[in-house]
Amino acid sequence: MEELGRINQLIVPFFGHDMTFNIGVIVMTWAIFGFLLLFGYLASKSRRIIPGTVQVVGELFINQLYGLTEDAMDEELGKKYGPLICALFMFLLASNWCGMLPFMEEPTKDLNTPLSMGLMGFAIAHYAGIRAKGFKGYIKEYFEPIFFMMPLNLIGELAKVVSISFRLFGNIMGGSIIILVVSHLVYSILLPPFLNAFFTIFVGAIQAFVFTMLTIVYIAVQVK
Amino acid sequence: MTDDIQVWMKVAAFVGGGMAMGFGAIGAAIGEGYTASKANEAIARNPQLSGDLFKTMLVGQAIAETASIFALIIAMLLLFSNFSHTSPLLIATFLAAGLCMGLGAIGSGIGSGLPTAEACIGIERQPQMKNRITTIMLAGSAIAQSPAIFALVTSLILLFIDFTGKPVSPTWAAILGAGLASGLGAIGSGIGEGLVAKSGCEGIARQPAGATRTTNVMLLGMAVTETTAIYGLLIACILIFKNFPAAESIAASMALLGAGLCMGIGAIGPGIGEGFAGQSAVKWIARNEEGTATLTRSMLVGQAVAESTGIYALVISLILIFVA
Amino acid sequence: MAIEGIHIVQAAAFLGAGLSMGLGAIGPGVGEGLAAAKACEAIGRNPAEAGLLTRTMLVGQAVSESTGIYALVIALLLLFVV
Repeated sequence: MEELGRINQLIVPFFGHDMTFNIGVIVMTWAIFGFLLLFGYLASKSRRIIPGTVQVVGELFINQLYGLTEDAMDEELGKKYGPLICALFMFLLASNWCGMLPFMEEPTKDLNTPLSMGLMGFAIAHYAGIRAKGFKGYIKEYFEPIFFMMPLNLIGELAKVVSISFRLFGNIMGGSIIILVVSHLVYSILLPPFLNAFFTIFVGAIQAFVFTMLTIVYIAVQVK
Repeated sequence: MTDDIQVWMKVAAFVGGGMAMGFGAIGAAIGEGYTASKANEAIARNPQLSGDLFKTMLVGQAIAETASIFALIIAMLLLFSNFSHTSPLLIATFLAAGLCMGLGAIGSGIGSGLPTAEACIGIERQPQMKNRITTIMLAGSAIAQSPAIFALVTSLILLFIDFTGKPVSPTWAAILGAGLASGLGAIGSGIGEGLVAKSGCEGIARQPAGATRTTNVMLLGMAVTETTAIYGLLIACILIFKNFPAAESIAASMALLGAGLCMGIGAIGPGIGEGFAGQSAVKWIARNEEGTATLTRSMLVGQAVAESTGIYALVISLILIFVA
Repeated sequence: MAIEGIHIVQAAAFLGAGLSMGLGAIGPGVGEGLAAAKACEAIGRNPAEAGLLTRTMLVGQAVSESTGIYALVIALLLLFVV
C-alpha cells in the first residue's frame, strides 16, 4: 500500500532551484500523443466512401464533437474551435482509459495535466472574449453589476480553472486509489474488473466529456 | 494505564455501535415510510392492483432496508468483537467506524425509498408496464445504496487495518476524519441519486415508449451524482493509508480532522443539488423525445457546475492534509 | 506536551478553514442544483432556446456560486495568512 498516490519524480538541480519532473506522467503523455497521431494517420490515410473501421471511429468523434461545438457557439465559431475540442476530448479519453492497461498510468492522475488543460481552456476562452468584445468591453464585464465586485468576479473566473481541473483530477485519482485499495483488500479476487469498468471506462468517459463540454461552454459564454 | 485504555476501548466500541445503529436507522425509516405512504395512495386509487402494489412495496422496502442492515453489521462487530491488543488508536477507530456507517446510511436509506414510492404510483397508473418499472426501481434503488456501501467499506477498512506502530498524536484525528469524510459525504449523494431514480420510475410510467432513453440518462445522472461520495471516500482512503509523522502539537491533529469534516460536510449540498438537476432532466427527457441530446448535455453541465463547491471542499481538504 | 497558545490558534485556524469550506459548500451546491433543474425543465418545454437557456443557467449558477467562493477565500485566508 506504500505506493498510494506516489509518482516517480526526477529532481534536477537548476541554478540553486530544484526542478521536478514527473517522469511517468511525461512518458505516458507522449505515449498518448503517439497513439492519437497514429490513430489520426490510420483514420485519414485511405479515405473511402465506404469507410473502414478506424475511419468510422474517427468520423464518429469528429461529427459528434463538431456538432456539440456548433450547437453551443455558432456555425463559424464552431468550425474554428472544433479541432481544439476534438483534440481535447480524444486526449482526455485516451488518458483516462489508458490506466486499464498493465504498466500504464493515467497522465490525468497527476494534477499537472488537468491543471494545464484547464489553464489552456481558460486562456483560450479569455482570448476569444477579448477578440469578440474588444478589450474595453471585456474589462467592463468585471465591473458588473457594481465596480467593487471586481475582485470577486476575478476570483470567480480563477475558481473556474480550479474547479474544472480538480474535478478531473479528483475523479481519476479517486478512482485509481479506490481500485488500488479495494483490490488490495480482496486480494485482487473477482472485484477489480468491475471496479475498472465503472471507475475507468464509465467515470473516465463522463469526466472527459464534462471537461470538454465545460471548455466549450466557457468559450461560448465569453464570445456571446 | 493499560486497564484504562481497555475501559475506554470498550466505551468507544459501545458508543460507536450505538451511533452506527442510531444514525443508521434514520434514513431507512424515512425512506420506507415514504414508500408505504405512496403505496397506500396507489392502492386507494386502484384497489384491484393491491396484490401487485403490496409486493412492489415490500421488495422496494427490503432494498431501502439494506443501508440500515449495513449499520447493524457494523454495530454488531463493534459490540461483540474481542480485540486482542490494546491501543489508544483503537478508541478513535471504533468511534470513527460507528459514525461513518451510521451517517453513511442516512442518505441511501432516504434515497432508496424515493424510487420505490414512485414505482408504486407508476404501476397503479400503467399496470401493463409493471415488469419494466420494477426492473428500473430495483436498479435505481440498488445504485442509490452505493454511497452506503462506500461507508461500509470505509468502516470495515477502519476496523480491520492494523494501526499499531503509527504515532498516536495525529493518527487519531486522521482516523476520525476518515470516518466523518466518508460518512457525511455519503448523505448528499444518497439522497440525490434517489431523486434521479425517482423521476426515472415516474418517467417510464408516464411514457412507456421512451423507457430506454429514460433509463440511460437516469443511470448517467446517478453516476455523476455519485462523484461527491467518491470524493469523500478518496479523502477517507488518503487519511487512513498515508503515514503521518508524529506531532505533539494539536494543530497537526486538527488539520486532519478539519480535512475530514470539510470534505464530508462539503459533499452534502452538491450531492443533493446534482440530484435535483438530474431529476428534472430525466423527467423532461421522458416527456420530450427530441430534446434528449440537448437535455443530457445541459444536465451534465448543470451537475458539473453544481459540483464545483464540492470540489473546492476537496481542494481545501487536500491542502489541509498535504500542505498544512 | 505543553500546549501553547500559538498551537491552539493554529489548530483553530485549520479546523475553521475546514468548517468554513464544508458548511459553505452546502448552500451553493443545492442552489446551483435547483438552477440546473429549472433550466432542464425550461429546455424540456422549449428545446429551441437551449443555447440561451444554458447560458442563462450558467450565469445564474455563477452568481449563486459566489457565496461558495467567499467560503473558499476565507478558508484559504485561514490556512495561509492567519
